[in-house]
Amino acid sequence: MIYAEHLRKEFKKTIKDPGLKGSFKALFNPKKEIVVAAQDISFHVPEGEILGFIGPNGAGKSTVIKMLTGILTPTRGECRINGKIPQNDRKNYVKEIGAVFGQRTQLWWDLPLQETYLVLKEIYEVDDAKFKKRMSFLNEVLELEKFIKSPVRTLSLGQRMRADIAASMLHSPKVLFLDEPTIGLDVVVKDNIRQAIMKINKEEKTTVVLTTHDISDIELLCDRIVMIDKGRNVYDGSLHELRENFGQTRELVFETDTSANLTEEQFRNGLKLTGNDLVIEREKNNFKVRFNSTKMPVSEMLSYTLSLTKVKDISVKDADIEEIIRNLYRQGETSDE
Amino acid sequence: MNKIIKSYVPFMKAGIQSLIIYRMNFLGFVIGGLIYCFVMFYLWKGVFDSNGEGMFLGFSMTDMVIYLFLSNTTGQLTFSSVSNQIGEEIRDGSISMRLLKPVNTDLSYMFAELGEVLMKLVVLVLPIILGLEIYRFCITGTVMFNVVNLLLYLLSAVLAYIISFRVNLCFGFIAFYVKNLWGIGILKNSIIGFLSGSLIPLAFMPDGLRMCLEYMPFASMGYTPVMIYMGKYGTNEILFRLGLQVVWAILLYGLSKLIWFGAIKKLCVQGG
Amino acid sequence: MRRIWKIYKLLAAQNLKRLMEYRADFLTGAVSFLIDQAIGIAFIFIIFSQIPQLAGFTFEQILFIYGFSQIPKGMDHLLTDNLWCVGYFIVRKGDFDKYLIRPINPLFHVIAETFQVDAIGELVVGIGLLIYATPNAGLHITVWTVLLSIVAVPFAALIYTSLKIMTSALAFWMKSSGFIIQMVYGMNEFSKYPTTIYSFPVRIFVTYIIPFAFTGYYLSLYILTGNDPWFNIGGVILISSILFVISVLIWNKGISAYESAGA
Repeated sequence: MIYAEHLRKEFKKTIKDPGLKGSFKALFNPKKEIVVAAQDISFHVPEGEILGFIGPNGAGKSTVIKMLTGILTPTRGECRINGKIPQNDRKNYVKEIGAVFGQRTQLWWDLPLQETYLVLKEIYEVDDAKFKKRMSFLNEVLELEKFIKSPVRTLSLGQRMRADIAASMLHSPKVLFLDEPTIGLDVVVKDNIRQAIMKINKEEKTTVVLTTHDISDIELLCDRIVMIDKGRNVYDGSLHELRENFGQTRELVFETDTSANLTEEQFRNGLKLTGNDLVIEREKNNFKVRFNSTKMPVSEMLSYTLSLTKVKDISVKDADIEEIIRNLYRQGETSDE
Repeated sequence: MNKIIKSYVPFMKAGIQSLIIYRMNFLGFVIGGLIYCFVMFYLWKGVFDSNGEGMFLGFSMTDMVIYLFLSNTTGQLTFSSVSNQIGEEIRDGSISMRLLKPVNTDLSYMFAELGEVLMKLVVLVLPIILGLEIYRFCITGTVMFNVVNLLLYLLSAVLAYIISFRVNLCFGFIAFYVKNLWGIGILKNSIIGFLSGSLIPLAFMPDGLRMCLEYMPFASMGYTPVMIYMGKYGTNEILFRLGLQVVWAILLYGLSKLIWFGAIKKLCVQGG
Repeated sequence: MRRIWKIYKLLAAQNLKRLMEYRADFLTGAVSFLIDQAIGIAFIFIIFSQIPQLAGFTFEQILFIYGFSQIPKGMDHLLTDNLWCVGYFIVRKGDFDKYLIRPINPLFHVIAETFQVDAIGELVVGIGLLIYATPNAGLHITVWTVLLSIVAVPFAALIYTSLKIMTSALAFWMKSSGFIIQMVYGMNEFSKYPTTIYSFPVRIFVTYIIPFAFTGYYLSLYILTGNDPWFNIGGVILISSILFVISVLIWNKGISAYESAGA
């Protein structure tokens, strides 16, 4: 469905030295610098899949989404969606996609929400019968009735997001791009929106590409994730695989007896783990130890700890997905140095 | 005093910097003004040619050229965009951020703009004056440059800027009531352009109207310094005109303060 | 074509609805432009209080030229005002994204989105001046001159539109091109008066480079004299068409250079 091959996007940027002097220099001799927002990104998404497209801030997620939707023209590489190259045949291409950019709205700001849908109906050439059916479906999934007659500027953030998603779905697109659809929303609204995305995906076999910083979005929605960092692919696979491959991290939490003056140093000294294999956080008598269980079995770690000090309480658990991702990001940082 | 200047210098530097960053905009602004001057130049040339006497209501063509270019550049020098800025800040609510800073609000606006004014003085007004003097020399064959007039012009221009700033400050508060700032801006600029004589010298207007306009603050915003530079006023009249500028500056200061306090109250009612 | 018209009507209707919500703003806008016009006319009055003729044209004839020049200007202002916003902030803020993910031509979409009623100031004054000046301007009225002049008006407006498209499209490379639009647009001042008052290089400039002379003076010259239809009217049609094609090419090139905003 979606093929992205070696996408690269460069931006030109005028750089200026700080201060007044720098401004004058930039006035007479502007220095241009090329910023590479996406280095080389490839992935593909089969029909009907929900893909989580993730990465730290500034990784190039939005740039890639904008290339896929035809807003930006890639400096190099190519994307093909549904057999079409977005930049070459924009008008026909965009009929088949819907896009929501969480940070901005495509609704008519001063007018009642309903009006936006009527305009979009014409723009996308949706016929009356289909429009009616469609609106009742979207109403049911996104619960728009309550505010469909209110001017868009009076909507709450959550309502606006639902309205925006409905606007992007009106013409039954085959592919839906959602750039941070849950940003800034409270838990209940987030859940509401997730349900809607799931329902749309299930009932219409809509392929969804979604960027997010919220790990629960990924855990609840995504069949597969593509992770990028600094404009390059870092990981591509299912959530399950991610856990298998990177999920050997375990978390040991214990509280020492007040009499025992265990320091981080002491604890670390007896172990032969280094770097990312061992991360210790300590707050007074509470220790939180994340370690690589392939290098050191859990049982060994437990007995080591118990032999070292008197503990009040102790527990071991699997690291959660957020933890794994944080580790992946961190690896990107260290390999960069 | 030193301390006051110190806390406002950052605003001024920021003003200059943003002007330079948008250097193309600045250039466009200047060139736009010059184009207008050229259209007017040819128009007046046509008028003088049709008239055939070489004089038009006490202005020679050389006078006219100097008036045109100098009043336009003086207009740009004393132009204040504070009304747009306040309007925007009121609309997007960021005015509350400004109120939070431990500085005098009017002065923070003014210093941000002073940087711009200084830039314009150096790269626009002085070169234009130089050009005009060269032009005058080429036409008349004598050097007519007068340092005293230039200094008086600069003094009067500073007063003109202060008045313009206050007038614009008052205009900016209209944003509390009207959303179409663009329309208001056009209205304001054409009214000021007309009443301050930068479009047509006030000297050309019917006597009653001219007397009226000469006492209004708009003439103080551009016409006065230009006439002083051109040596159209005698010593007594110069003193009187400068005095009038000072009076207007004080009156408008009071008016803008009054509106400002009213506006702040409204801001509180709206909840910012 | 019918679909385009339908969408245009719909978008314009949305605009009018929005205007109804802010009636005071609509009034300030229209009044502002009216006063702006009134001042321009006052200027001509003052000049003619001292001289009988300007470059061989009488007071009524100058008013006629002035008035005629405001009609294409007003038409363009009425229909394509949103291009200013493209140059000033739509591109810079990344809001152009929206136009690129809709299945209609982005240029058409941008233009159709705004219906600027402020332009009534120019149109009313323009038409008013024509009515006022016509009886005494000594027009050369025949079926041909009237017909051709009317036909040429939309083309003259297209000169404005094309120049605005070109200059606003520069924002795709420069982020903000508002002042360039302002600068080029500001040259329409040249169109209000006979080009014969300008020196030769300026005349060439406003005829062939930034061809605003065609939006006022040449247009009126034909109905004033009945001479040179090929240049006065043909020129408007030819130059506006060429300019429009070039402007669309620049615009399309600009879209592929569009960088959006944010990461």
